[in-house]
Amino acid sequence: MTIVVTTIVLASIYSLVAIGISLTWAGLGFLNLAHGVIFAVAGYGAWLTAEHLSEGPVAVILAGMLVGALAGVFVCVVVFLPLDGRPNAEIRTLMGTLALSFLGVNLLQEIFGPQPKALPSIFEWGNFEIGNAVVTADRSGAVVTAVAVLSLVVFALLRSRVGLGVRVLTQDPEGAALVGVNRRTTALAILAVSGALAGLASVLLAQVFYVSPEAGYTPLVKGLIVAMLGGLGSVPGTIAAAVLVAACEALTSTYLGGQYVLITLFVLIAVVLLIRPRGLGGLLETARA
Amino acid sequence: MSAVLELDGLCAGYGPMQVVHDVDLAVRPGERIGLLGLNGHGKTTLMRSVLGLVDWRRGDVRLDGGSLMRAGPHQVARRGVVLIPQGDAIFPGLSVRDNLDSGAYMSGSWRRRDERRERVLGIFPQLADRLGQTAGTLSGGERRMVAIGRGLMADGSVYLVDEPSLGLAPGLAQRMIDAVLSLELGAGALILAEQNRALFEGRVDRVIRLHGGRVAT
Repeated sequence: MTIVVTTIVLASIYSLVAIGISLTWAGLGFLNLAHGVIFAVAGYGAWLTAEHLSEGPVAVILAGMLVGALAGVFVCVVVFLPLDGRPNAEIRTLMGTLALSFLGVNLLQEIFGPQPKALPSIFEWGNFEIGNAVVTADRSGAVVTAVAVLSLVVFALLRSRVGLGVRVLTQDPEGAALVGVNRRTTALAILAVSGALAGLASVLLAQVFYVSPEAGYTPLVKGLIVAMLGGLGSVPGTIAAAVLVAACEALTSTYLGGQYVLITLFVLIAVVLLIRPRGLGGLLETARA
Repeated sequence: MSAVLELDGLCAGYGPMQVVHDVDLAVRPGERIGLLGLNGHGKTTLMRSVLGLVDWRRGDVRLDGGSLMRAGPHQVARRGVVLIPQGDAIFPGLSVRDNLDSGAYMSGSWRRRDERRERVLGIFPQLADRLGQTAGTLSGGERRMVAIGRGLMADGSVYLVDEPSLGLAPGLAQRMIDAVLSLELGAGALILAEQNRALFEGRVDRVIRLHGGRVAT
C-alpha cells in the first residue's frame, strides 16, 4: 500500500513538471532546459512570500505559481521569441536555456546563499491511514492540489480556444498559422502555464524537501524523462508515463534500494521506447498519419 | 470597382529558384476565378506566396488596398485570407470536431462555431457521425472533407483553394469542387486551382492559366 501511495504522490508532481516540458517541446519545438531553474525560482518566490507577506497556504501556493509563470514568460521573451524562426532555432534555443539555467542557479546561489530554505507547511489536516500506509498531510495535499490544477489545465486545453490553438500547434505549425493561431502569443501562454505548473510542483515538493538553488535539477531530469516517455505533446501519455516512472521508482527503492532507481528507470525507458518509439502517447491517441 | 485582392508584379520562390514570375492579378468582389495549370507550373506557390509561405517574394500583394507584404501568415489569415492547402491539410491527431473548430479560431468566428459546424455538416453529412473520431484515421475522401470544412468554418473574405480534387475518384472530386463553389462570397472572392478545366468549366467567372510561373494569355 505504501508503494501505491508513494507512486501516486510522485506521479502527480512529475506530471506537473513534465506537462510543461512536453507542451513546450511539442508545440514550439523548443526544449526548455531552464525548466528546472524556473522550478527553483518559483520555490524562492514562495519562500519570500512566506517570510515577508503571508504564511497562508493559498498565498504561498499562488506566489509559487505566479513567480513560476513570470519566470516562464521571461525564458520565452529572452530565449524563444528572439530565436524562433531563425536558422537552427532548435539547437540555439536549447543552448540559450542551458545558459539561462546555469546563470539562474548561480544567481540564486549569490542572492540567497547555498543554505536550503524551508517553506511553512501548507496542509494541516493531519495524517490518515489507507490500509497499512500512513498518508501524511503534505502527501495527500500534494495529490489533491496537483490533480485539481492538472484537471483545470487539461480542461482548458480541451475546451478553450487558446487550448485548441496549443493543440493545433503541436500538430502542424503551418496549419496553425493558416487558421490564424499566433505562434508567439501562444508561446507566451504555453510558457506561462508551464512555469505556473512547475511553480506549483516546487511548492508541493518543498513540503518534503527544501528550496535550494539546485532544487530544480532532479525535477528537470525526471520531467524530461516523463515527457519523452509519454510521447511529446500528449497529455494523457504524459500522465501515464508519470505514473509508470513513479511506480518504477517506488518499487525499486522498496525492493532493491534507492541507489538502483536510476538504473531501473533507464531500463524502463529503453524498453518502452524500443516498443513504442514515439512514447506512450501513441497508445492512447490513435494514429498520427 | 476596386479589387479585393491584388497581386502586383508578384515574384516568389524557394532558395535560388524562382517559381512565380511577375504575376499581376486583380480579383473583384464576388468573383470566382479558376486557376488552371499543370503540375509544377506554380499554382501552389502562387497561393502560398499570398500568405508569405514561401522563402522569398517580391512585388506587392494587397488585400482591400492594404499591403500584405509585411504581415506574417497568421496575420494574413486573420485578415480573412483562407488557404485550403493541397493534399490532406488536417491536424491528424485531433478529432474531426477539433479540426473543424480550429477553422473558426479567429475570435469573431469562434463564438459562432456551432452554427458554422452545422453548415459544414450540411455540406458533408457523413462527417456528422465522425465528429469524435481522430482525423488521422479517416479515409482519404473524408480527410479532404475535413480539410475543406476547416476552411469553410472561417469568416473569410478571400478563399484560396488548392486542388481540392487531387487524388480523389471523379465523383468525389466533383463533390469537393461543388462544395467549394457553393460558398457564398458576398464581397469576398474565390480562387480555385485545378489541373482539369472540366471540373469547373462554366462555373467560374474567369479562368487564368498559369504556365511556367507566368500568367499565360
